[in-house]
Amino acid sequence: MYAAPVSRLIAELSRLPGIGQRSAQRLAFHLLRASSEEAAALAEAIQEMKRTVGLCERCFNLAVGPLCRICEDPRRDDDTLCVVEEPSDVIPMERTNEFRGRYHVLGGALSPIDGVDPEDLRLEELFRRVEGGGVREVVVATNPTTTGEATALYIADSLRERAPSATVTRLASGLPVGADLEYADEVTLGKALRGRSSL
Amino acid sequence: MRVTRLTARDFRNHSRVELELGPRLTVLHGPNGAGKTNLLEALYFGCVGRSCRTSNEREVVRSGEGVARVTVEGEDEDGRHLIEVGFSPGEPKNARVDGARIERPADASVRPLVSVFLPDRLELVKGPPSPRRAHVDRLVGALWPARAQARAAYSSTLGQRNALIARIRAGRSAPSLLEPWDSELARHGAELMRHRRDACALLVGPFCARAGDLGLHGEVELRYRPRSRAETVEELTDELRERRASDLERGFTTHGPHRDDLELRHEGRPLRAYGSQGQQRVALLALLFAERDALADHGRTLLMLLDDVMSELDRERRERLSGLVLAGGQALITATEAEHVPAGRGPGVTLARVEDGKVWVEAGASDGSWRAAPRAA
Ligand SMILES: Nc1ncnc2c1ncn2[C@@H]1O[C@H](COP(=O)(O)OP(=O)(O)OP(=O)(O)O)[C@@H](O)[C@H]1O
Ligand SMILES: [Mg+2]
Ligand SMILES: [Zn+2]
Repeated sequence: MYAAPVSRLIAELSRLPGIGQRSAQRLAFHLLRASSEEAAALAEAIQEMKRTVGLCERCFNLAVGPLCRICEDPRRDDDTLCVVEEPSDVIPMERTNEFRGRYHVLGGALSPIDGVDPEDLRLEELFRRVEGGGVREVVVATNPTTTGEATALYIADSLRERAPSATVTRLASGLPVGADLEYADEVTLGKALRGRSSL
Repeated sequence: MRVTRLTARDFRNHSRVELELGPRLTVLHGPNGAGKTNLLEALYFGCVGRSCRTSNEREVVRSGEGVARVTVEGEDEDGRHLIEVGFSPGEPKNARVDGARIERPADASVRPLVSVFLPDRLELVKGPPSPRRAHVDRLVGALWPARAQARAAYSSTLGQRNALIARIRAGRSAPSLLEPWDSELARHGAELMRHRRDACALLVGPFCARAGDLGLHGEVELRYRPRSRAETVEELTDELRERRASDLERGFTTHGPHRDDLELRHEGRPLRAYGSQGQQRVALLALLFAERDALADHGRTLLMLLDDVMSELDRERRERLSGLVLAGGQALITATEAEHVPAGRGPGVTLARVEDGKVWVEAGASDGSWRAAPRAA
């Protein structure tokens, strides 16, 4: 229907989350009308992000370079680790200003239906970090969904065996059941952090 | 919410109908094929957002037309409300409450709670347990809205556990991974069982009383029959753990509240297997009225839609059923003969004749009789 390059851009855009065919068309035509500089700036921003941003070698949060900003920050406490499912879950946690420890990003949650086993997550890396010593408390902040809860239990069971000296805690259940951490507000999340209990 | 008015356009055999409902009861009578059940279905469609008769919803659109529309007007403590549902096959439904668009009509907080009796609902009494579990769980959600999510949480955990069993059998996951899923399943399962037990406890008394009212003589029982005897999460976890080997062998989760049942008994025997057609019918009605009682105690009124309930009852039982209907909430009854509904005339009752897709109000709302009465008093 359109010239081939336009169709190609529409096809690529419509693969993005939350972008349907119609929005993709609107974006493509907007870019078609935009100046070459504007279009180039967008393309470069995407390429630069892909070139420079990777995962932190230690916690698997997003990082420019080998370590993320939180792992590089000397003022953070090494003895508390907060375990989240996705890098996007770090942001709401940081906004609470309640947590001064470091993170560990799993890259998902256990889900037999989707074929996600422990080996598909950064769990072994987490256990090694805790076994290495120096971690007093592991705060499991996976989502309060079925898969997030099962993952939390799995972590607690495994750490009880592999690093019995570390305490494993779970966020207090003030979060709406089935919700994603990503959408929780600071106040609720802050309360959940302060009221955490042993797993 | 009490429904005051129903309008339907191009719904089944009705091209355009308007009906003012009686605040207590509306009786629709007319010959076979007139469109009585269709009107009852339209009311359900407007209140709940789907059909109570068919899963193939294109059937509700009048032949030769493209869109069926239903509006339901009503009032509650906050004032008047308007629910509009438009449906065109192949497209998402267009539902509005007080003018604002909503995703799923069932989520609308102003909509009335509806309970339906259709002849094929006898399956609830004589059929397999799964619709009975679903029925009890819906009642739980109506009684205590915050508890409604327990069923969904249990089902999704069960789905995960069954998927894991399949993976373990295929050698793709380790059996030890069952541990966290057993704990999760037990946590949601124990909660679901507690909710069901609570709901059934509220029904036991009213069920026996209503069954007696409707002339089901002899000893009547309603029993929650959980699959598991566990009283706590820990006990249920242990039970699941004990069955791991056999679950792995059979390929699915064999134990837990997804195998519960609600048993209705008469004279010491399950009505499901031993009851006569008439006894099963009365038992279903007694169950629906018991639910109305339980909901009333929780401050929620019910709109009961009773299709063709009178046809197989004798005169005495018709009288008793009429009495029960008028005793609380709001109801709509269809019947081929007006005389089959002894309560068909009186204050708060609308009597309407349906014939060939048209409706005439013979007594009640439109002739002003029930309106005039309170003003005169
Ligand atoms: N989509 C449709 N378009 C037009 N007519 C329809 C449609 N669906 C059903 N009908 C007609 O509606 C009539 C049945 O109406 P309904 O089931 O409401 O009857 P009823 O008054 O309840 O009768 P009964 O006393 O036998 O139960 C039938 O004649 C049927 O052909
Ligand atoms: Mg009918
Ligand atoms: Zn890091």
